[in-house]
Amino acid sequence: MAKRILIVDDQDSILHAVNRFFTRAGFVVDCAHELEEAEALVTHIAYDLVIADLSLSEQGSTEGLEIVRYVRRCCPHTRVIILTAYGSPSIESEALRRGCDRFVLKPKSLSDLVKIAAELTGSAA
Amino acid sequence: MPTMLDELCRPGSIRVEFQPIVQLREDGPHLYGFEALSRGPRGTTMELPSVMFEYARRKGRENEIDRLCIATAMMAASSLPPEPIISINVHGSTLSNTPRFAEGLIEGALAHGIAPERLMIEILEHRTLWVMEAVHATLQELREAGIRIAVDDLGGGASNYRMFVDCRPDHVKIDRYIVHGCTGDRYRLASLRSIVALANACDAVPVAEGVEDADDLAAVRALGIDCVQGWHFGRSLPASEIDASEFLH
Repeated sequence: MAKRILIVDDQDSILHAVNRFFTRAGFVVDCAHELEEAEALVTHIAYDLVIADLSLSEQGSTEGLEIVRYVRRCCPHTRVIILTAYGSPSIESEALRRGCDRFVLKPKSLSDLVKIAAELTGSAA
Repeated sequence: MPTMLDELCRPGSIRVEFQPIVQLREDGPHLYGFEALSRGPRGTTMELPSVMFEYARRKGRENEIDRLCIATAMMAASSLPPEPIISINVHGSTLSNTPRFAEGLIEGALAHGIAPERLMIEILEHRTLWVMEAVHATLQELREAGIRIAVDDLGGGASNYRMFVDCRPDHVKIDRYIVHGCTGDRYRLASLRSIVALANACDAVPVAEGVEDADDLAAVRALGIDCVQGWHFGRSLPASEIDASEFLH
């Protein structure tokens, strides 16, 4: 059965590209632009994996960490990847402390991201 | 960049479908009413109403979206057959926080040719943070206009005995979680029995939601529940696709 993932990013172009790539790789993909939208979806839909950008409003913001915390509390079996181009050891450590499964620095090829997603969800993608 | 909230507020974005509520009489099922069920924009993450309202709640705009859904329902309901009641969901917080809610609802109904006496509001809630005085005053105005009051999803979520006591409903909609699969499940049957006793003691009509097969239908009938709703009788459909004649006797 195809794994269901949620991709969270405030940039349409990125969401579109990641959505297409993951869909072709055999995942069922939902997309969200904002923290509240992501939380609403996670509350009512069972995802195998959430891939969230660290910053969802402005450069340097850390809404992605809120998503990690919410997913851990609401659906502990869902895996979480945080993506960022502006990582720092302290943010990475905070993300992992909150229960993030992978903290991935951009740029990262979509093929590599699919491999990580497949590994975390146990899928054959 | 426009947010999903902007998309929800765009005219025509929210859709409404209607599901039949059926009354079981000795001569067969009669169409009792239609429940208006809101849906978010097709093809978006908000298509599921649970997600749409969760999102609106998190953005602090639940009442606004609620009112938008009610207005959309009223417009769509104007093309339904003229007799069955029209049941509309409203969050308790919307009753509590919307000045002149009753007046607006009645005006909206009349503007679409719907007599207020045909309306029923189903009160639902996720967090009971209501200003009770405001809710009581609104419910009183609605009752005076002949509008029926129902507590929605009793037995599930925040829809509990407190809500029953506070709202003094004419109808009690029993949560599908309790109804679905009740046949042969003594815990579900005991819960149903308890709700039927509660409703009967207060002259409220119990309505079983989520009746999906003949076994569950027989079980709820045996408990004295005559009003039912669920896929066994019909899924929700846009008003334009409803053929009420199959229910009308």
